[in-house]
Amino acid sequence: MKEKKKKFTLSQKHNATGWAFLTPAALLIVIMSFVPMVKALILSFKTGVGANMKWAGLYNYARMFQDSVFRQSLFNNFFYLIIQVPIMLVLALVLASMLNNKNLRCEGLFRTMIFLPCATSLVSYAIIFRSLFAVDGFVNTVLIKMGILNTGYNFLGHPWSARIIIIIALVWRWTGYNMVFYLSGLQNIEYSVYEAAKIDGASPFQTFWKITVPLLKPTILLTTIMSTNGTLQLFDESVNLTNGGPANATITMSHYIYNMSFKYVPNFGYSAAMSYLILILVAVLAFVQMKVGDKRD
Amino acid sequence: MKRKLLSAVLSVAMMATLLVGCGNSKAPAADAPAGDTAAKQEAAPAGDAEAAPAAEGGNTLTVWCWDPAFNINAMKEAEKVYQKDHPDFTLNVIETPWQDIQTKLTTAATSGQLDTLPDIFLMQDNAFQKNVISYPDAFADLTATGIDFTQFAEAKAAYSVVDGKNYGVPFDNGAVVAAYRTDILEQAGFTVDDFTDITWSEYLEKGKVVLEKTGKPLLSCQAGESDVICMMLQSAGGSFFDAEGNPAMTDNDKLKEVMNVYSELVKAGVLVEVNDWDQYVGTLNNETVAGTINGCWIMASIQSAEDQSGKWAITNMPKLENVDGATNYSNNGGSSWAVTSNCKNLELAADFLGSTFGGSTELYDNIISTGALATYLPAGSSDAYAAPSEFFSGDAVSKKITEFAGKTPSNNTGVYYYEARDAVAVAITNVVAGADIDSELQVAQDTVSFAMGQ
Amino acid sequence: MTRKIRNFGMYFFLTVVSLLSVFPLYWMAVAATNKSVDVIRGTLIPGTYLVENFKNLLSLAKVGPAMTNSFKYAIVCTLASLLVCSLAGYGFEIYHDKIKDGVMSIILLAMMVPFAATMIPLFQMFSSAHLLNSTLGFILPSISTPFLIMMFRQSARSFPHDIIEAARIDGLSEIGIFFKMFFPTMRSTYAAAMTITFMNAWNNYLWPKVIMMDENSITMPMLIANLTEGYTTDYGSLMLGVFLCTIPTVIIFFLLQKSFAEGITGAVK
Repeated sequence: MKEKKKKFTLSQKHNATGWAFLTPAALLIVIMSFVPMVKALILSFKTGVGANMKWAGLYNYARMFQDSVFRQSLFNNFFYLIIQVPIMLVLALVLASMLNNKNLRCEGLFRTMIFLPCATSLVSYAIIFRSLFAVDGFVNTVLIKMGILNTGYNFLGHPWSARIIIIIALVWRWTGYNMVFYLSGLQNIEYSVYEAAKIDGASPFQTFWKITVPLLKPTILLTTIMSTNGTLQLFDESVNLTNGGPANATITMSHYIYNMSFKYVPNFGYSAAMSYLILILVAVLAFVQMKVGDKRD
Repeated sequence: MKRKLLSAVLSVAMMATLLVGCGNSKAPAADAPAGDTAAKQEAAPAGDAEAAPAAEGGNTLTVWCWDPAFNINAMKEAEKVYQKDHPDFTLNVIETPWQDIQTKLTTAATSGQLDTLPDIFLMQDNAFQKNVISYPDAFADLTATGIDFTQFAEAKAAYSVVDGKNYGVPFDNGAVVAAYRTDILEQAGFTVDDFTDITWSEYLEKGKVVLEKTGKPLLSCQAGESDVICMMLQSAGGSFFDAEGNPAMTDNDKLKEVMNVYSELVKAGVLVEVNDWDQYVGTLNNETVAGTINGCWIMASIQSAEDQSGKWAITNMPKLENVDGATNYSNNGGSSWAVTSNCKNLELAADFLGSTFGGSTELYDNIISTGALATYLPAGSSDAYAAPSEFFSGDAVSKKITEFAGKTPSNNTGVYYYEARDAVAVAITNVVAGADIDSELQVAQDTVSFAMGQ
Repeated sequence: MTRKIRNFGMYFFLTVVSLLSVFPLYWMAVAATNKSVDVIRGTLIPGTYLVENFKNLLSLAKVGPAMTNSFKYAIVCTLASLLVCSLAGYGFEIYHDKIKDGVMSIILLAMMVPFAATMIPLFQMFSSAHLLNSTLGFILPSISTPFLIMMFRQSARSFPHDIIEAARIDGLSEIGIFFKMFFPTMRSTYAAAMTITFMNAWNNYLWPKVIMMDENSITMPMLIANLTEGYTTDYGSLMLGVFLCTIPTVIIFFLLQKSFAEGITGAVK
């Protein structure tokens, strides 16, 4: 270490160390993500069936605007994004700050139980949600007994109720997951800050908004970008809960891209072009979120 | 203390991983065999699946198929039959779900890595045209290999014929059966004979009576799927496409009639739509419906409710009226064996398939207990097929279904079959919700035309 | 008085949320003890068919090898991923400058393309490199993830710079600071990252489904997919399989969550 010092200034040395730390990760990402991405980009300018592709310029990109199923899927994705992400993140934050309370009993049990949904396999959770909301399912039985409905309502058979069920399912599945990040973020805040606030007579509500939220800003930014990304690439719920139906009312962009590649006559050029639209949308949203939330102070 | 110990353990573990990672990257091949020693013992000549699952001219064939109780079992029985004359022969059957086979086939063919494919795999009949036309390089032409394709039900063999060439050996039967609960029909004053050789309008009228007297619909199906539509359409020899493969959903009398019948059935409550497959099977097992119409493979699900033994009976499906070529017979599902171009020993693969699935009634007798019914016509006349089924009211159902299969009109699936099915599913959903049939079919036609205009 | 009401409200809320969360797992456990036809009929009462389901499951699928594979892939992937990504996240934040911030933004782009689009080029690369059917092939694409890098970068932001300066004065090397200072301090972040990475690796399905061609390299999610294919599904055995597949993640979470609770206050002396 001492020998090295004579050649480099301290800041040069730190700079080099920084690069050494991040190179393995960056190199892996270049090979595993960027190389295939560039190949996919080239593909998005080609058209053809299966393996026989020919150059087509921007044709695939222009094609998207005439595709009514794609427009529907774009709308659905944004609907899920705007409604589901805020509800889920606020709920996760509230749960995390409740569970961070040192005086709470059985917090380990609560934590594990609330985390469980995201560990639960998609197979069982899809079956359960579908049967809960079936015409003769549990939810309808309860609503009829309470006198709210006269006959069972086909929740998954109508466009808006089916979309709302997808949102409920997403909130159910991912709230605990996000809560984990907030919990680990909360641990990086000194507990004494809360005790000081309590002594100053701050209400729990004030503590939450004045201390928890600002100090968790980096984590909130992280989860917002992740959730935005996850929602715009949503696939599992669309495939397993509603299969995109009724009449494509709940289909997502990724589901449509998957169909286009593996269910229908494969059109990889068009799939790649649609994927790049998702990339652009997520990148723009992430950029905006970073500008708003990512300041070192 | 505990904390320090934990972090020490973690750092050691992480360093170890890094080293393992390095070791791996230097010798990737060394890693694979560690996991598959068992495979080596079972099927030695198959070699590293990584390099080439296909046998290098030896006596082993690699097969992908998906259902242990059904087609995997059939393949293993076929191996036994073939081994009688060819003691050196072995099969390496790898369980792979159909979805995965489709994904792997697409990935391998698109990236030009055809050597990752097995020798033989099972393919859904509906996907045959699409895959052979999209990836002609991936398949072996079986026309001139000595397999007698005339021994199969004509409609069935047609699925795997592209440009007059045979690319598949037919396997299981998807002949449509109408299954009814005889006890429920009895409450409404009917027997199963009242539902044999009938038309859809008779079905509708009788269905209304059953609904009124017992409160149970005659039929259930999955919303958002077009299985019932496709079965009705094929029963009259109709298709979503014309002979040139262009979409023909508008000005299609048969399709329009089918849409009409379907929406009337739903409106009358004789047909109930449920949201997914599990609920559909549930309606059968829970006695919420008085019957069903589907490919004969549905009988396995019906029979899982053992307490209903003797209460079910099988007959043919209703036929359309006012259209030419209407019959009481159709097809739903079913699959065929494809041989890949990666097969190093095409002669062996063809001889194996030809003398088992395409030549051995013994094989079909052995697998009939699993519900695998032949489309190989000579199998239908064997004694095993004439045996009565206690569950289905003592009827010789196997023989009956083989006869149905022989009478089924063939189906012009076309390359864009899945696109058309989905587009029609959207149309029927909207029609049931009150939209106009003609304009919805126009939309469906446009959707498929759009997909075809690459 | 108001505090009591508030406490009661909090426990009530947490209990309701917990029960809602746990219900599907309960249903799954119940289903695993019932006959297939009763599962379809929607029973909520534990049955007596567990042993039969277990026998059926073992006869239908190779549970042992699939479990072993899943553990092998998930553990190797998690450890490698934590090391590579935490180093990078730390490097990006502690030594940050304009160029490195720029590199970070570019890296973030990598998580924004749906996997369906890059899968085919990636398969081509792995097939030419003879990495199909191997552990390395399974883990390589998921070792370095923008998400984990970003997570560690964000948490390094709350790592006090005074500690670094003090350690440097004490003569600790930069890598030494990372392992001896950052690593123990950020234990709750590592615990969270470990849970998430393990879960993702364990549940990874699309990629192994493409590269694993050999029956002996399949994972638990692939095994479950095998069970759902076919004309009839044995729901009892399926749910038992699903249940077995869920347990490891739950255990990992339960064990690691203690680290979320201990946190930084105990760690920095």
